[in-house]
Amino acid sequence: MSKMGYFGLGEEGYDRIYKDRELFVRIVKLFKPHRRSMLIVIIFLTLSSITYGLTPLIMRSIIRQLESKSNPYFLIIFIGNAFILNSLGYLFNYVNRRQGNRMVYRLCYNLRRQTNMRVLEQDLSFFDKYPTGRIVSRINSDGQKFGGSVTMFTELITAFLTLFIVIIPLIIISPILTGVFMALVPLVFIFTLSFRKVSRKKSMYGQRSLAQVNAFVQESMAGIQIIKNFRQEKTQFEAFQAINNQSFKVNMSRALFLNILFPSLDLIIAVLYAILVFFGGNFIIQGVLSGADIYLFLQSSLILFQPLLQIAGFWSEFQEGLAAAERIFALQDSQSYIKQGNFVLEEIQGKIEFKNLGFEYVPGKPVFKKFNLVIQPGETVAIVGHTGAGKSSLTKILLRLYEFQSGDVQIDGHSIRDISLREFRQRIGFIPQTPFLWADTIENNITYGALNATRDDVLWALRQSGGTEWVENLDEGLNTFILERGKVLSMGQRQLIVFARVLLQNPSILILDEATASVDPFTEIQIQEAMEHVMEGRTTIVIAHRLTTVRNVDRIIVLDHGMIVEEGNHRELLNKDGYYARLYNTYFKHQSYEFMEEMKSKRMQETS
Amino acid sequence: MKAEVIEEQKIQNNSEFSLGVDDFFKARQKGVRIWIMKHILYKSNKYILALFFILVILASYFGSILFVIIGKAVDAFSTGHSDLIINYTIIVLLVGLGAPISGLLSRTFREIVAQKIERDTRREFYLNLLGKSQSFHDNQRIGDIMARATNDVRFLNFLISPAIGMLFDAAVNLIVPMYLIIVGYPLELVIIPVVFSVIFIAYLRKFLKKLAPPSLSRRIAFGEMNTVLNESFDGIEIVKSMAQEEQNVEKYKDSAMSYRDAGIEAGDIQAKYLPILLLSLTITLGLTISVFYNKAGVLTVGQVLGFIGLLLRLRFPVNASNRAFMMVQEAIIGAGRLLETMNAKSEIFNNDDPISKKIEGNVTFENVNFSYPGTQNKVLKNINFEVSKGQTIAIVGTTGSGKTTLTKLISRLYDVNNGRILIDGIDIRNYSLQSLRDQIAYIEQDIFIFSDSIFDNISFGRDTSMEQVIAVSQEAQAHEFINDLPEKYDTEVGERGVQLSGGERQRVAIARAFITDPKILILDDSSSAIDSETEERIQEAIFRILHGRTTFIITHRLSQIRWADLIIVLKHGEIVNQGSHEYLLKNSPEYQKIFVKRFDKTLNELLEGEN
Repeated sequence: MSKMGYFGLGEEGYDRIYKDRELFVRIVKLFKPHRRSMLIVIIFLTLSSITYGLTPLIMRSIIRQLESKSNPYFLIIFIGNAFILNSLGYLFNYVNRRQGNRMVYRLCYNLRRQTNMRVLEQDLSFFDKYPTGRIVSRINSDGQKFGGSVTMFTELITAFLTLFIVIIPLIIISPILTGVFMALVPLVFIFTLSFRKVSRKKSMYGQRSLAQVNAFVQESMAGIQIIKNFRQEKTQFEAFQAINNQSFKVNMSRALFLNILFPSLDLIIAVLYAILVFFGGNFIIQGVLSGADIYLFLQSSLILFQPLLQIAGFWSEFQEGLAAAERIFALQDSQSYIKQGNFVLEEIQGKIEFKNLGFEYVPGKPVFKKFNLVIQPGETVAIVGHTGAGKSSLTKILLRLYEFQSGDVQIDGHSIRDISLREFRQRIGFIPQTPFLWADTIENNITYGALNATRDDVLWALRQSGGTEWVENLDEGLNTFILERGKVLSMGQRQLIVFARVLLQNPSILILDEATASVDPFTEIQIQEAMEHVMEGRTTIVIAHRLTTVRNVDRIIVLDHGMIVEEGNHRELLNKDGYYARLYNTYFKHQSYEFMEEMKSKRMQETS
Repeated sequence: MKAEVIEEQKIQNNSEFSLGVDDFFKARQKGVRIWIMKHILYKSNKYILALFFILVILASYFGSILFVIIGKAVDAFSTGHSDLIINYTIIVLLVGLGAPISGLLSRTFREIVAQKIERDTRREFYLNLLGKSQSFHDNQRIGDIMARATNDVRFLNFLISPAIGMLFDAAVNLIVPMYLIIVGYPLELVIIPVVFSVIFIAYLRKFLKKLAPPSLSRRIAFGEMNTVLNESFDGIEIVKSMAQEEQNVEKYKDSAMSYRDAGIEAGDIQAKYLPILLLSLTITLGLTISVFYNKAGVLTVGQVLGFIGLLLRLRFPVNASNRAFMMVQEAIIGAGRLLETMNAKSEIFNNDDPISKKIEGNVTFENVNFSYPGTQNKVLKNINFEVSKGQTIAIVGTTGSGKTTLTKLISRLYDVNNGRILIDGIDIRNYSLQSLRDQIAYIEQDIFIFSDSIFDNISFGRDTSMEQVIAVSQEAQAHEFINDLPEKYDTEVGERGVQLSGGERQRVAIARAFITDPKILILDDSSSAIDSETEERIQEAIFRILHGRTTFIITHRLSQIRWADLIIVLKHGEIVNQGSHEYLLKNSPEYQKIFVKRFDKTLNELLEGEN
C-alpha cells in the first residue's frame, strides 16, 4: 500500500489508471443489485426491436397482396397483424423505457450515496488537494453522465438489433440493392465522425467567446461605482460592443456549422432514393422486384436512419460516460490514512505531549522533524510564528485531521492513534479562524455536536459567550435562519455562535485559531471576554493574532519552520529582544498603546 | 428632434447614461410579449424570418412530394415504361436534394435571427445597466444580474432556434401533407391526418401539463444536491472535528432521493408517450383504407405508396422534442426577468434648477431619518451632527448599526425620508447630482480592481502622466510594492492578472483618490486584517489621504478612532454618543471599556496620554 494513495484524481488530462478490464468488471458489479431490471430491459428491448423491425415487412406483404390481386381474406389477416404488431411494439417499448429509466435512476442514486459516504470518511489532506467544486461535480454531474451512457448503451443494442432485423429481409430480396445501400453507410459514418470533431472545436470557441462577454459584464457590474465616479460609461460600452460583436460572429459560425449535419445526411439519403429509383426501376421492369419491395427499401431506409446515427455517435459519448465512471471510482477508492484504535478515553485530564513528531504534507517537504512539546493539563498556550511555521499543522494533527508519519502524540499518556476517533473528536473543541455555520437556525447551529442540548442549555452557552441580548434583538431570536454566506449576521455574531457551540460541546481540550479579520471594537470586547470564558478550566492551544491574547496566556511557543525557537511568557520574551521581539514588531506592535501614540505625531505633523 | 427623444427617454427611464435613441424603450413598457415581438421583428429580422418560413414550407413540400413521385415511378415501371427510368431518377434526385437544401437555408436564416436577437438583447441590457443609478446597483446582487445577463439572454436565442423553428416545422409537416392529400387524392382521405392532428394536439397539451411538475422537482432537487454537498465540503473541518459525518450523509441522502423519485416519475410519464402508437396505428389505418380504394380501382399501387409516404411525414411532429415548449416558456420567464431589471426605476431625481459649485466640505446632518425604499424598517433615526471642512470623522458601531448607510446618504445615493443633509449650508438635494458626485469619493470595503494595468487602475480614465501616478502611489505607500511587480506600473492586475492582497488594493484605491482629490472622502476601512505585515504602511497611507479634506472613515482601528476630530458612535441606527476621544473616554463607559481592555491600561493612564 503506497503512502499517499490519491491516484486517479488529477487534472482533466489525467491518464487512465484503471485498466479496461478492471473498469468493466467494476461497472458490471454496479449492476448486480439491478439484475432483475436489467433482464427485463434486455428482453423487452429485444422484443421491441423485433416488432418494430418487422413492421416494414408486414407493410410490404400487404402491398404485395395488392399487386398480386389475391384473396382479400389474406389481406385482412395481414392488416390485422399489422395493427397487433404496432400495438405490441408500443407496449414493449413502453416497458423497456420505463424499466430502463427506473434502473438508471436507482443505480445513480446508490452510486452517489456511496461515493458521498466514502468521501466524508476522508481526512483533511484529501479536501486540501481537491477543490470542493470538483468533488461535488464528480458526485452529482458525473453520476448523471454515467447514467446517460448506460441509457445510450441500451439504445445501442436496440440500434444493432433493429439494423440486423431490417437488413436481413433486404438482403434476401435484393442483394444488389442492399449492397448499393450499404456502400453509402460508411459515408454516413465518416461524415458524422469528422463532423463531430469540428463541431466540438467550434463549440469550444463559441463557449469561450461567450464566457469572455459574460466576464466583461460581470466586471463592469462589480466595478460600477468606479465607472460612474470616473464617468467612464461610454468607454466601457464601446469595449463591450467589441466583445459582444465578436461573440456574435463566433457563435454564429458555430451554430451555422452545427446546422449542417442533418441536411447533409438528408442529401445522402436523397442520392440513395435516386439510386433506388434507378436500379429498382430496372428490376421492376425485369420483373425481379415489385412496388412492394421498393416500398420496403424506402421505409427501411427511414427506420435505419436513427440507429445508424446512434451507432456512429456512440463511441465518443460512451467514452465520456466511462470517464465519468472512472472519476467516481477514483473518488471511492481514495484511502483515508487516519489510524485509530478502539480505546475510549473516559475522562481527559488534558496533558498533551508531542514526542519526536515527524510530519509532512507532501513527501520530501517535512513540516516537523523530531518535534517535542509538553503541555500540562489546564495550561493555556499560545503559538506564534510567521506563515508556514507550522502553527495550524500542529493543531490539525492534534485534531486527527491529518496523519503524522513518525513519532507520537499522546494525551494523558495514551497515543492518539490508539484512541477511538469519534469519541476523541467530541472531547476536543475546535474554533476555526473563520466561523463556519450551517444554513440552519441559530439554535441548531449551536447544538450541532451536542444534539441532546435543550433550549436552556443553548441560552446558557450564549450567556457565557457574551450575552443573549443580540439574539433577542433579532426578529426571530434563536429561530433566525442563517443563510449560507448570508448577511443576516455579522462576522462578530457568527464568532459568538461558534463560541457557544463549543461551550455546549464542553470539551476537555480547546484549540482556537484566532480570527484575523477585524471586527468593530464593541464586538471585539465581547469576543475577547467570551474567549476568556471559553478558555477557562481547559487545556487550551491558541494560534494567536491578538496582542491581548499573547499578553494573557501562560506560555508562548514561538515556531519557526517547525521548530521551537523561543518559549516563555510575553514579558520574558520581549525582554530577550530576540526572535519573538522581531515578530512582535511585525505583527503585534500596532495593536499596542505605544503604536497608537506614535500615530499621534504623524497626525500632528499632517495637520500642522 | 433626435436629441429630444433621447432626453425624454433618459428622464422617463431615470437613466444616467444613454447612447442614441433606444428603439426598444416603448416596447419594454408594454410587456414581455410585445417586447419579444419587437426584437423578433426588428429591422431586417422580419425579412429574414419571412424567408425562413417560406423555406420551411418548401422543404416540407419537397420532402412530402418525394414519396408521391416515387409512387408514380413505381406505377410507370410496373406498366413497362422503361424509357422513363432516367427521367424519374433525375426528378427524384432533384426533389430529394431540394428538401435538405431548403432545410439548410431555412435553418441558416433562423440561426441568423436567433444570434442577432441574443446580441441585441445583451447590448440593450448592458446599456440599460450602465445607465442605472448607483443606488440601484447597491441593491443588486451581482450574481443575480449575471444570471439574467447570461442565461435569460441566451434563452431568447433558444426561443427562435430551435424552439420556434421546431414548432413551426412540426406545424408545417402536419399541414403540407394534408394539402397534398387534398389536391392529389380523394378528398375524404384527408380525414385521417386531420383526426390524427386533433387527437395529437389534445394529447400533447395534457402530456406537457403532466410532465411539468416532476421536471421542476427534478431540477430543484438537483440544485439541492449541489447545495448540500458544497456546504458539507466547505465546512468539512467542522464536520470532522465534531465527528458529525452521519448528519451530513443523511442530509445528502434526502436530496438525492428526491432527485431519484422525481426522475422516475418523469420517466414513467415520458415512457407512455402515446403519439408513437397513434402514429403507427394511423399509418396502418391509412394503409388499410387505401388498400380498399385500390381494390375498388380508385387508387393505383403507386398512389397507395404515395399516400403512405405522406402519412409518414407525420412522424416529424411526433418526434419533435418536448423541449421546444419548455424552451418557449423559459424564454418568456427569462424575458420577464430582464424586463424587471430594465424597467426598475431609481429613486433619485435631479431637481429643476441644480446648483453646481465647488464645495468646501462642511457637512451637517439635521434630524435625518431613513429607511431603504420599499421597506418599513428604520435604518437611521434622528441623526444630528455637524462637521467642518477638513475634519476627520470616525464612524464606529457594530454591523447593522447604519454606518454604511449614513455615508451613502452623503453622496445622495439615496434621499432621506425626513430631515436634511447640508453641504456648505445648502441642502444636497439642491446640488446637481453630477457636481456632487464629482467632488465626493468613496473607497469601498472590498476594493474592486479592474483587469487592467496598475497605471490604468489608478488613473482610470483620467488624463494623467506616469509621474503623477508615481507621485500619488508614493503618497499612498503603494509605490514600493508596485515597483516590485514584474512589469511595475504596467503589470496586469485584477481577475486575469496578478492578484493583489487586501492591503495592496486599499492603497491602490487611496492612490486613485489622490488623483481625484475630492473635497469629501468616504473611506470604508472595516475589512482590514488584524495582523497584517504592512499595517504600518496602510495606516500611514490612510493618515496621508485624510489631510486637506473632510473624511468620513468607517473603521475598527483604534489608532484612527483615537485621533479623529469627531467620533460618532452608532447603535441600531441612532447616534448613542459623539464627541472627541477625550470626551467619550470621560463620558461613555462602553467606550472606556474598549481602550481599557485592549491596552490593559487604566482610565487615568489613557487620559494622560491625551496631554
